[in-house]
Amino acid sequence: MSRTLATGNHVAGHALALAGEANRHARGCCAGAYPITPQTEIIEYLSGFDFNKGRVVLVESEHSAMGVCIGGALAGARTFTASSSNGLAYMTENIFAAGFYRLPTVMIAVNRTLGPPWNIWVDQGDSLMMRDAAWLQFYCDSHQDLQDTILMAFRVAEDQRVMLPVIVAMDGFVTSHTQMVVDLPTQEQVDALLPSCNIPHRLKHDHPSTFGGMTFSSETEHHRYAIQESMEQVFPVLEEARDEFENIFGRRPAGALETFETEDAEIILVACNTMARTLHTVVNERRAKGEKVGMIRMKLFRPFPRQQVLAAIGPAKKVAVLDRNHSPGSGGIFWQEIATTLRERPDVLLQDYLVGLGGGDVTPENINVIIDDLNQRTTASEPEWKDTST
Amino acid sequence: MMEITICGRGGQGGVTLAKIIASAYFLKGKYVQAFGVYAAERSGAPIQAFVRVDDEEITNHNQVQHPDHLVVLDRTLIAPGMDAILKPGGFIIINTPPDKTDYKDHFSGRDVAVVDATSIAVAHGLGTRTVPIVNTTMAGSIARVLGLTLTEILAALEHLNFIGVNKTCAREAFKQVHTSTLPGEVHQAPKAAVTPRVADLFDDDVGGMPKIKTGSWATEKPERRHLTPPCNHVCPAGNDVRGFVEAVGQEDYDLALSVLLETSPLPAVCGRVCPAPCMDSCNRLEFDQSVNVREIERAAAENGNRPEPGSASREEKVAVVGSGPAGLSTAYQLARLGYPVSLYEAGDELGGVLRTGIPAYRLPRNVLDEEIDYILRHDISAHTGCQLKREDMLRLSREYQAVFVATGLQNVSDLDLGEATSVAPVQGLHFLEKVRNGNQRLDGQRVVVIGGGNTAMDAARSALRIGASEVRVVYRRTRSEMPAISEEIEQALEEGIILDELVSPVRLSDSENGPVLTCQGMKLGPPDDSGRPRPIADTSPEARFDISCDLVILALGQSHDISILPEGSVIREGEALLGLSGAPFFVGGDFATNEGTVSAAIGCGVRAARHIHRTLSGEDLFPPPEDPIATTEHIRFNRFEHEPRAAVNTLSPAERRRCFDEVHLGFQAGPDGEGAVSEAQRCLSCGVCNKCDRCLEYCPEGILRRSDEKDGYVFDLEYCKGCGVCMTACPRGAIYMTEL
Repeated sequence: MSRTLATGNHVAGHALALAGEANRHARGCCAGAYPITPQTEIIEYLSGFDFNKGRVVLVESEHSAMGVCIGGALAGARTFTASSSNGLAYMTENIFAAGFYRLPTVMIAVNRTLGPPWNIWVDQGDSLMMRDAAWLQFYCDSHQDLQDTILMAFRVAEDQRVMLPVIVAMDGFVTSHTQMVVDLPTQEQVDALLPSCNIPHRLKHDHPSTFGGMTFSSETEHHRYAIQESMEQVFPVLEEARDEFENIFGRRPAGALETFETEDAEIILVACNTMARTLHTVVNERRAKGEKVGMIRMKLFRPFPRQQVLAAIGPAKKVAVLDRNHSPGSGGIFWQEIATTLRERPDVLLQDYLVGLGGGDVTPENINVIIDDLNQRTTASEPEWKDTST
Repeated sequence: MMEITICGRGGQGGVTLAKIIASAYFLKGKYVQAFGVYAAERSGAPIQAFVRVDDEEITNHNQVQHPDHLVVLDRTLIAPGMDAILKPGGFIIINTPPDKTDYKDHFSGRDVAVVDATSIAVAHGLGTRTVPIVNTTMAGSIARVLGLTLTEILAALEHLNFIGVNKTCAREAFKQVHTSTLPGEVHQAPKAAVTPRVADLFDDDVGGMPKIKTGSWATEKPERRHLTPPCNHVCPAGNDVRGFVEAVGQEDYDLALSVLLETSPLPAVCGRVCPAPCMDSCNRLEFDQSVNVREIERAAAENGNRPEPGSASREEKVAVVGSGPAGLSTAYQLARLGYPVSLYEAGDELGGVLRTGIPAYRLPRNVLDEEIDYILRHDISAHTGCQLKREDMLRLSREYQAVFVATGLQNVSDLDLGEATSVAPVQGLHFLEKVRNGNQRLDGQRVVVIGGGNTAMDAARSALRIGASEVRVVYRRTRSEMPAISEEIEQALEEGIILDELVSPVRLSDSENGPVLTCQGMKLGPPDDSGRPRPIADTSPEARFDISCDLVILALGQSHDISILPEGSVIREGEALLGLSGAPFFVGGDFATNEGTVSAAIGCGVRAARHIHRTLSGEDLFPPPEDPIATTEHIRFNRFEHEPRAAVNTLSPAERRRCFDEVHLGFQAGPDGEGAVSEAQRCLSCGVCNKCDRCLEYCPEGILRRSDEKDGYVFDLEYCKGCGVCMTACPRGAIYMTEL
C-alpha cells in the first residue's frame, strides 16, 4: 500500500487495472473503452496499462464499449469500463443487456449532468437513470471510498449468489479531477482479495449455448424474480466482502450507508458523494453549537438498503434528502426511494431538497439554509428547489 | 485549514500550480486538496484553481469562497473588487513586471508579494512570449510567502517530475519575490452580481447571458491581405489575369473584357497566340492541370461587349512608329488617356508581325482586322505605306510632343550555303508573305526549313498546307532547346513534319537527282552565351549526309535595324533619347528588347504610355510595388476537388494539314461558352479573396460578418479569440495571423 496524491480518475483507472490483472491466471480481462469528459483519464490509464492477460479495446461509441464488455464476459473474462452522462445514455441498451445477461461487469460512472443543454458538471442523474437495469449501484464520496469500492465491486458482482453488474459512481470533476491523499493498493493485495472470475454460464466449446433467446411471460417472470433474489443476496455478500477487505487492507470500507451523529439526532440529512462530505463539515459545526443534527451518507442505491435506512433514521422526526438529481414529473430519486422506505413511519416529516442540479457548487452556507428550513417546518411540501448557481 | 485561490489564464499552468503547492504540503504529512474550476478553459481564458491544506482529513468539496491567500498569475485579470474574497491578513501574490503598478490602486491596504515571473519563465524558455508558462516559477514565490523552505518547494517540483529549468525558475522567484503592505484602506466587498434571467420557452427576449468580451483572451488577431497571383506576376502584358478569369467564372464576359482592355487591346489575338506563361506558373499545375487561361481570354474576347471609345481630349500629340503589337498597344493606351495619336506603318496593312509573321491557321485575318479596327476607333489616325528614315524622325520630333518607336526586327539572319544554281534559299518571312498573298503552291515539293523558332514552325506548317509532299525542319540542337512555342512544335509534328534534331546545314548543291542539302550531325557541348548547350560537330563518318530537297527556307532569327535612330543611339526600353531637339523619344517592343512575344510587346506599350504621360503631364500612373507572390505554400489544396480542364476543340492533324483554317476552335461546350465558365471556375484565386465565405462559415465564434465596405468582411475583434481557424479555412492565403 502506498500513500500518494492522486485524482479520482487516476484512482479508478489504477483499481480497475489491478483488478483486471488479478485475473491473469484465469480468463484474463477485457475492457471496451470510449472517452468522455470527465472520465477520459480512466480510459487513458487503461489504454497505457501493460496487462499480462487482457485487452483494452478502443471502440467508436459507448454502445460498442459495453458490447465489448458483454462479449468479453460471455467469454469468461473479468470486464470493466467507464462512462458518464450522454455516454451512459448512448450505452443504455447494452447496459440493460449486461444486467439481464447476468454478467458481472464493473462500470465507473463519473457522474455528469445529462444534456442537452450541454453541461459538463456533476449531477447524479446519469447513473440513477440506469436504476432499472439490474445493476448494483454504489455512490462514492472520497478517493479512498472510491478505491475500496471498486475492488469490492468485483468481489460482490462475481459472487455466484449475485452475478450482476455493478456501477461505481463518483462526482465528475469534484472527485475525478481533484487531487487528494489516498492509499493505493498493491497487486498482491488485490490478488488476495479477488478470486478468479468464474462466470458459470459463459461460452464453453464442449457445451455450446445461445443467449437471450425468445421467452414467454412466465419465463420472463422467473428471470426477473431470480434477479430480485440475487439483489437481496447483495446485503450478506457485501458484509463478507467488507470482512475480507478488512483482513487484507487493515481498514473496513463503508457498507450500504454511513451514519454520523444519528443516534440522538432530531433531524437527519441524507446525501451522497462529495456533497455528503461537505454536509459532514456542517453537521460538525452544528453539533458544536449543541444542535442535534445527524446525517446519513447513502452509498448503496441498488439494491436499496431499506432496512439499514430505517435503522439509521431511528427515532428522528425530520429527514431531509439532498438530491443532486431530478426525475421530471416527480422529484428527487433518493427521496422517492426513502419515501417508500418510510411507508411504515408516517410520523417522520420527509422533505426533498433539490440541490446542486447541473453541477452547482454546494457550500456549507447552502446546507445551513436547508437545515434552517427543515427546522422551522411543520409539514412536508413538494420537493424544494435550492438554487446553488454562483 | 488553509485555503488558496489561484487566478490565471488558460495555458499558464494554474491548475498544475495548485497541485505543486498541494504536493509540497503532502510531502510534509498534511492532508491536501487541489482542483481547478473546469469550464471554458481554453488558452487565454480566465481560470481559477484552489488548494486546501489541513492537519486532518478535508471534507469540504465546494469551491473556495474566502481564501487565506490569493495568487494572480496574469496582471490583466486584476479588476476592482477582486480582493474582496480574501481573508484579512492574507497575501496577494502577483506576477507582474516591476513597471506595472496599477495593482496598487486595486489592492490598497493589502499585503502583496510581487515577482516578474513571466520574465524569469521566458528567459528560461518556459512557454512563449505571448503564452508564458509561469506556474513553476510562481511556485517559488508562493512558497516564500507561505513559509515553505526552498527545499520543500523543490521537493514538490521533483515529486511531480518537473526538470531542471523549472527548479531554476522557482529558485529565482523564491529569491526575487518582494513583499510589502500597500497603504490605504482595504476596499469593501462589491454588491453581489445579478443572476442572469433564463428566458421562458415562448419568450421573445432570449439570450440574457452575460456578455463576456472574449477578445481579451486573444494573443493573435487575424488580418486580411492581398497577395499577387503568380499568373498576374508573370504576365508580360501586366494583365489582371485572375481578375478576368474570375469574371468569366461568373459568366460576366463584359466585365472580363473590360479588365483585359485595361492593359491589352488585343485579347482575341493573345487568346490564340500567347505562349501563356501564366499557365506555366499557375498554382493548379501540380494539383491537376493549370487553368486554360488562353482559351478563357479568347472566350472573353468573343463574348464580351467592348465599350465605345471616347475622343481625344488633350492638346499634346504623340507619334507612334510601327503598328505591330507594341505600337498598337502604346497608341491605344495613349488614346485612352486622351492624347491624339498618329500611327505610322511601313507596310500596306497595319499589324506588323501580327499580320506578316503569324499564319492564318493560328490567327485568322478577320480576327486581327476586328481588333485593329477597335483600336483605331480610339481616335488614332493611321498612315500606312510610310517607310520612315532617320530624317523623318527629326521632322516627327518637331511636329509631335513625344515619339514612340517600335519598328520590330527588320534584319534577318542569313546563311551562306554555297552557289547551288537550281534553287536558292528563301528567307522565312519572305516566304510567309508570299503564302499570305496567296501566290504560292508547293505541290509535290520537298521542303527543308532551317531554324528552330516560331518563324521556322510557321514556315514549315505553311509549306505543308500549300502542298509540299515532305517538310523537314533541320535544327542544330535538340527539341528542348528550340525557342519555338512547344505547342507549335507539337502540332507541327502531329501534322507530319519531320524534325531533324542535332543537324546543321553545310552546303546546298546540285546533283543529278536534283538539289541536295549536305548536312552535318551534331552533339551537344557545354553552354554558350545564350545559356544553351553549344552544338559541336560529330566527327564520325556517318554524321555527314545528304537530304534531297526542292526548297530550302531559312528561319535563323532576326535583329533590329537601328538606322532609324540617330547614330550612336543605345537602345533600352523606355529610354528617352537625348540629343534630338524637340520631343522626347521612347522605344519599345522587339525593337528594344527582342522578347519575342505579343504579350511582352503589349506590356512595353503600357509602360511606354505611362512614361510618355508622366513626361508630358507629370502624372505618374505606374503601379505601386507588387505584393508578395501567392505560391503553392499559400494554397490549401485539400479544399479543392481534382477537376480536369474543360475540353477544347481542335482540328485533327489530317483535317488541318492542307488548309489554313484555324486549328484551335475554342471550348467544346458550344457558342455560349459554358466550357469557358466551368474552366474559369477552376481558378483558385491565389492570394486574393473571392468572397467564398469559407472563413465566415468556419469561424467557431461567429466573429465574421459580410460587409459592404472594407474588403467585404468585418472581424469583430471584441470577441475574436485569435484561434486562427479563419486563416486555416481560407484556401488561398488571404488571411494571416499577427501577434497582438
